[in-house]
Amino acid sequence: MIWVRAFLARWRGAFRRPRDEEQLADEVRFHLEERADEYVAAGMTREEAQYTALRSFGGVEAMKETYRERQGLPWVENAVQDVRYALRALAHSPAFAIPMLATLALAICAGTVMFGVLQAVVLRQLPFPAPEQLTIVSLGEGRSAYWNVESWRAHSRSFSDLAVLDTTSVTLTGIGDADRIGVARVSPNFVPMLGVQAAHGRAFTSEEAEQRRRVALITHAFWQSRFGGSLDAIGASLELDGRRSEVIGILPAGFRFADVAAEVWEPHTAFADWDVRRVARGTGSWFVLGRLRANVTLEQANGEMNSLARRLDEEMPAADRDREIRVVPLSEHFVGARSRLAVWMLSTAVVCVVLIAVANVLSLSLARNVSRTRELAVRSVLGASPLRLLRQLVVESVVISAIAGVCGALAAWTVIQLLRANSLSSFPRMTEVTVDGRVLACATALALFAGILTAVAPSITAWRSNLRVSMQSGGRSVSGSQTIRRALVVAEFALAMVLVFGAGILIRSWQIAEDVDPGFQPQQVLSIQLRAPATMPSSQRVAFYQSILERAERTGGVDSAGFISELYITSTSEQFIETEGKLERIAFRRDEASPGFFRAVGTPLRSGRDFAAEDRAGSQRVVIVNQAMASRLWPGQQAVGKRLRFGGNGEWFTVIGVAGNMRRQGPEQEPMPQIFEAIAQNPPGAGYLLAKAATGDPTQITRAIRAAIHEVEPQAPLYNVRTLESSFSSFLAARRLQTFVVAAFSAVAMFLAATGIYGLMQYCVATRTREFGIRMAVGAGNNDILRVVVSEGLRLSVTGLALGFFGALWVGRLSASLLFEVRASDPITLALVPLLLAFVAVVSCLLPALRATRIQPLAALRQE
Amino acid sequence: MEAGSTDRAEVLQGTLTLLVLRTLEALGPLHGYGIARRIEQISQELLHLNQGTLYPALLRMEQEGWICSEWGTSEKNRKARFYAITNAGRHRLAKEAADWKRMSTTIERFLVFDPARRVEEGG
Repeated sequence: MIWVRAFLARWRGAFRRPRDEEQLADEVRFHLEERADEYVAAGMTREEAQYTALRSFGGVEAMKETYRERQGLPWVENAVQDVRYALRALAHSPAFAIPMLATLALAICAGTVMFGVLQAVVLRQLPFPAPEQLTIVSLGEGRSAYWNVESWRAHSRSFSDLAVLDTTSVTLTGIGDADRIGVARVSPNFVPMLGVQAAHGRAFTSEEAEQRRRVALITHAFWQSRFGGSLDAIGASLELDGRRSEVIGILPAGFRFADVAAEVWEPHTAFADWDVRRVARGTGSWFVLGRLRANVTLEQANGEMNSLARRLDEEMPAADRDREIRVVPLSEHFVGARSRLAVWMLSTAVVCVVLIAVANVLSLSLARNVSRTRELAVRSVLGASPLRLLRQLVVESVVISAIAGVCGALAAWTVIQLLRANSLSSFPRMTEVTVDGRVLACATALALFAGILTAVAPSITAWRSNLRVSMQSGGRSVSGSQTIRRALVVAEFALAMVLVFGAGILIRSWQIAEDVDPGFQPQQVLSIQLRAPATMPSSQRVAFYQSILERAERTGGVDSAGFISELYITSTSEQFIETEGKLERIAFRRDEASPGFFRAVGTPLRSGRDFAAEDRAGSQRVVIVNQAMASRLWPGQQAVGKRLRFGGNGEWFTVIGVAGNMRRQGPEQEPMPQIFEAIAQNPPGAGYLLAKAATGDPTQITRAIRAAIHEVEPQAPLYNVRTLESSFSSFLAARRLQTFVVAAFSAVAMFLAATGIYGLMQYCVATRTREFGIRMAVGAGNNDILRVVVSEGLRLSVTGLALGFFGALWVGRLSASLLFEVRASDPITLALVPLLLAFVAVVSCLLPALRATRIQPLAALRQE
Repeated sequence: MEAGSTDRAEVLQGTLTLLVLRTLEALGPLHGYGIARRIEQISQELLHLNQGTLYPALLRMEQEGWICSEWGTSEKNRKARFYAITNAGRHRLAKEAADWKRMSTTIERFLVFDPARRVEEGG
C-alpha cells in the first residue's frame, strides 16, 4: 500500500510543480541562513558566512533537479510535455492540422454511423428468444391458406410449432372520433412463440380462440393514447366495426413484429368469414410463423416441407399444385434481401471513404514528417534519443486521433439522432439504431486505428532515415516517402473510381425510375381513403359511393372523380382465368372501379368504353382489362367483346374496354395484368376516392370533398388524405435516400482524392523548386512547366482509375439487383466517371502547377 | 567536489534514512537544517553529510510515509518546514537498525578473519 501512496504523491507532484518548488527554495534558504548564522557566531563576516554556507551545502540546482525527479513521475511529465508540444505544433501548422483532423473526424463519423446502422439493420439479432429458430413458412407468394397450415402442423417434424397472423383494418368507434385502425389476428400461440408476454393482463388462450370469443390485446402505444395508460383499460371494451371486443391484456412497450402496424391484436378466429377461411386451401392470406426445433437446419426444414408439399398436392386446388413451400429465416423477412444489399452497399461506400481518408491522412503525415526531418535531426543532435523522438511522433498521432475521435463520435451521435428522429420508415429497423457500447467501441477502434496509422508510417521513415545526413542536406532526402505517397494517390483514385461509378449507376437508375411513365397522371389528383359504414348492408354501398361521387364531381374546383377498391398493388395472386377456348393460370390483379376512375387518374382507354350507369347489379357482368391482360389473354386480337371467367367456373364477364397499363406496384415494377370490375356489380367495403382538381394544387379541394362525403354519411371514416403525386413518389423514397447517401459519399471520396493529389503535387512543386528553376533557366516556358506538373498528376490518377475500373465492374455486378433499367457495366457511366475524375485530378494539379510557373529561376537556384 | 577534510567520511549510501529516522525519533519534530546539524553533532563532525542529498531523501521518506512535515517557525522566528516521524517510520527504523546491526556484525567478523586461511578453506 505504501508504494501506492508514494505513487500518488509523485503523481500529484507531476502536476503541482511551481508551489512545491517555491517551498523547496524556502526550505533551502532557511537552511543556508541558519548555517550562515552559525558561521557568523563562529566569527565570520556575514558575507563570508553566506558564501561558506552555500559552499558546504553543495550544488543547489543539482539538488533541486534530484528533488524534482524524485518528486514527480518523469514519464507522466514527459507525456504532459509531449502533449503540450504536440498541441503547440498542431496549432502552428493549421495547413496540416485542419485537413488532417477534418478528414479523420469525417472518416470516424461515417464509419461509426454506418456501423450503427449495419448493426441495427443487419447484424443485431431480432429481439426475441432464440431468434435463429424463427422462420416464415409460405406457399408460393409468401402467404398460405389455413388448411395448409393445419396440415403442415400435423405432418411436419421440423417445427416445434407453427402460428398464423393476418392483418386487416377496422373502424374503431366509441372512443373519440371514429378511426381506422390496423388489427392483427393471430393464433393464440403466436405471441408466446415470440417469447413475449403481456405487460399487463394476459394473452388469449386457445379455448377463447376456439370459442371465437371477442378478446383483444392492445399495444402499449394504443393503451397510452386511448386509455392514458390507465389499468382500467383491462376489461374495457372496444367497438370494432360495430362489434364489441374486450381488452384482456396490454403488449409490452417496444413490441413490434416486422412491419405489422396493428394496434389491436385479436384471435385468428375473429374474422367474420372464419368458417370459410378455416377450410380454404392453397395460397391464402395467412402469414405463417414457425419455430424450428433445436438442431433442425433451414435446409432440412426446406427439404422436408417440399416433400410434404408434393404429398399434399392431391388435396390442393388445381391452381395451387406444384408450388414450393419456402422456409425463410424471420430476420431475412424483417429486412428484405434488397434492403440488406443496400445496407451492404452503403457500408462498402463508407469503407471506401474511410480508406481514402486513411490514405489522405497517411499522405499528409508523411509529407509533414519529411518537412520535419530537419527539426527532428536538430533535436536528435541536441541529445534526444531516437526513442524519445519516436514517442514524440506517437504522442502527436495520439493527440490528433483523440481530437478527431471525439469530434467524429459526437458528429456520429448527432447523425444517428437525426436518422432516428426522421424515422426513415422506408428503411426497416432504422428506428432501432442506437449509440450503444458497441457503436462507441467502433468509434474508438477507428480512432485508435487512425492514431496508429498516422504514427507508424512516419515513425518508420524517421527511424530509417539518417537524421544527421538529412540535417546536412536540409531535409531534401524524400524519395522513399514520395513513392509511398504516389502509391496512396493511385489507391485513392482507384477507390474513388469504384465509389463514383457505384453512385453513377445508382443515380442513372434513380433518374430513369423517376422518369418512368406510371401510366396515369398523378398531378393534381387528391386521394382519400374511404370506408362504407360497417353497419351498412352491402346492397346500399353502391348508392353510397355513387352519391359521394356525384357530389364530389359537382364540387367547385373538381374536374373529375372516381373510386377504386385498392389504388396500389401490394399483393397479387395467381388464379385460373378461362376464356372461350382455354384455361390459363395467370398472376394478375382484380379490383373494382367506378365510372370516371380512369378519367380522374388520367389513364387512357385504348379501346372500348368506360363503365357507365347501365352496368348495374343484375345486368350483364362487365370488366375492363389493361393492355397487359389483353395481350396475355388475346394476343394480337381485339379484346373488347371477348368473355372470361375466373377459376374456370361461375359467371362470364364481358370485356367492355381496354385501359392503358398502370404501374400500380411502383415505377420500378413492370405493369402486371389487371382486371377491373364495376363497383356497381361488386361493391367493396372500402377504397380510394380520387378527385382531380381543375387547376393547381389538389389539396385546395380537400375541404370541399370532405364536406361532400360527410353530407352523404356523417359517420363515414375517411383517412390518409394525400396527393396522388406524393403517395406515388413514396415508392421511390428508399431509392432516393440510398442514391443520395451513396452520391454524398462519393462526392466526399472525390473531394478527398482531389485534396490528396493536390497535396502531393503542391509538395512535389515545393521540393523541386530547383529543378523547375533550372528548366526555366534553360528556356522552358510556363506551358512546359504546367505540362510537367499536370501530366505527372494525370499519370497517377489515370493509373488509379485503370485499377478502379475493375473494382467498379465488380461492385456493379454485386449491386446489380439494386439497379433499375441500367446495366451493371453501364457503358455511359463507365466512360463518364473516369473522365470526371481525371478532370478533377487536372484541376487539383493546376494550382500547384501555376505555383511552379511563378518560380523565379535565379531565386530558386540561389536558395540551395 | 565539496571541500571536506580527509578524515571525515561521507554518509554511506542507504544509511541516511536510518540516521534521519533515528534523529527524529530521539528529538521529535525538527527542520531540515536541525536534522543535518544533529547528524553532524552526534557523529562529532566525523561524518560529513552532503546536504544536497538530504532534501531529496526527506522528500522520498515523506512519500514513503515514514515521516510527515509541517510548516512552522524556527526559534529565530524564521519560516521552516518541520519533519516528524510517523508510526510507519518507527517500524522502518526498527527494521533498518536491525539490518544495520546484522551488517556491521558480519563486517566485523570479516575484519577479524585471516583472509589467507579463508581462501584455502573456501577452495
